[in-house]
Amino acid sequence: MMDTLNFPKVTEIAVPLFIAAILIELLWIVIKGRGGRYETRDAVTSLIMGAGNVASGILLGFVAYGFFMLLWRITPLDLGTSVWVILLCFVLDDLRYYWVHRFGHRIRWVWASHVNHHSSQHYNLTTALRQTWTGTFTFMMVVRAPLILLGFHPAMVLFVGGLNLVYQFWIHTEAIGRMPRWFEAVMNTPSHHRVHHGRNARYLDANYAGVFIIWDKIFGTFVPEQDREKVDYGLVRNIGTFNPIRVAFHEWVGIFKDVTQPGLTWRERWMYCVAPPGWSHDGSRDTSETIKRKHLERHPEDRGTPGFEA
Amino acid sequence: MPLEILLPLVVMGIAGIAFTLHFLGLTDGPGLSSDDAARKAWAREFPDAPATNVARSITGRAALVETGDRLGIVWRFGADTTARDLEGAEAQVQNDTLILLLPDYGARRIKLHLAPGEAEAWAETIGQKT
Repeated sequence: MMDTLNFPKVTEIAVPLFIAAILIELLWIVIKGRGGRYETRDAVTSLIMGAGNVASGILLGFVAYGFFMLLWRITPLDLGTSVWVILLCFVLDDLRYYWVHRFGHRIRWVWASHVNHHSSQHYNLTTALRQTWTGTFTFMMVVRAPLILLGFHPAMVLFVGGLNLVYQFWIHTEAIGRMPRWFEAVMNTPSHHRVHHGRNARYLDANYAGVFIIWDKIFGTFVPEQDREKVDYGLVRNIGTFNPIRVAFHEWVGIFKDVTQPGLTWRERWMYCVAPPGWSHDGSRDTSETIKRKHLERHPEDRGTPGFEA
Repeated sequence: MPLEILLPLVVMGIAGIAFTLHFLGLTDGPGLSSDDAARKAWAREFPDAPATNVARSITGRAALVETGDRLGIVWRFGADTTARDLEGAEAQVQNDTLILLLPDYGARRIKLHLAPGEAEAWAETIGQKT
């Protein structure tokens, strides 16, 4: 069984491509006068969040890698490094991504890490780089455990995960409308991912896919972009700061304040950590379900349309 | 990628993009052009509490919003707007700048440059209502 295996660090190699693509998108928007919006402080905040994400990976990456290597020593299985194994690993890791991402929107502890990615009111290629600094603390590395126990080498699992993130870079744009129909049917695209970044009631908790949109179609979370309802980007309650520290930690602070308020039962304190974002012990806040319900009370004509089917 | 290459690449990339955006005039955006724009900006964040009254600043950078017995604020945020309920807010005035301190880790301190006299008037209104 191989202990050491080297794959390229694709997210680091892609940095020059990210910078070039951002400049090309910006040029396109300025020349054409359409295809998205940029604002200096918003973009700089996103880019600093991206740099911080790389830094946190360098500083804390050993935690996840140590855990994966421990699993690798336990498992008796080794699938090797053939192209087919790497391809299978890529597909299965994308399924893993779908569930981690879904947990990221439905469990507040995980949302506290992921929320910063949704905190921009813009949607351009810099938004793709607005990534978490606190992913290690969500413990979502456990969702990768089955892949390693099945015999995929940890270095390969991290490599395909990096490819997954690089794929997702280009879909954070308004400059591309829709891709060919066959592509939209199978792959995650700018159109599908715009929906995911929407704060419209219709678009909440939809399109969690990384690379293949089929996971959303299989698990019932797919909502197509509607031409009659433009996506409104950002958070249900927009954050109101460009300070990267506040962007990175605001939901963790919120959890701490909620958990430590006096007069709660232990169950209520626990629920503030793991219930969906917006849950409160006295029902004074809105979850995505209550936001959708209230929207339908104001707009009953939307009942049964995409995003309001359940 | 070695750190001695990655680090300068990231720093220069961020600085270059920031400079380009600012040079292209993409810092900040238009203010609240009308009372209706302020109402819509409020409704984006608080669809369940429609604005009953709106007092837009002369600079167009912000608007005080009344919703029944509550007070809120909409302000220009980059190229967009955002809004907050002013429950528990503290207002301070420095020259023509209104500083709102909110019990909110994200938007803890909102700094609004207003027209002469406006900051004092708004601070008084906020003091009475919150």
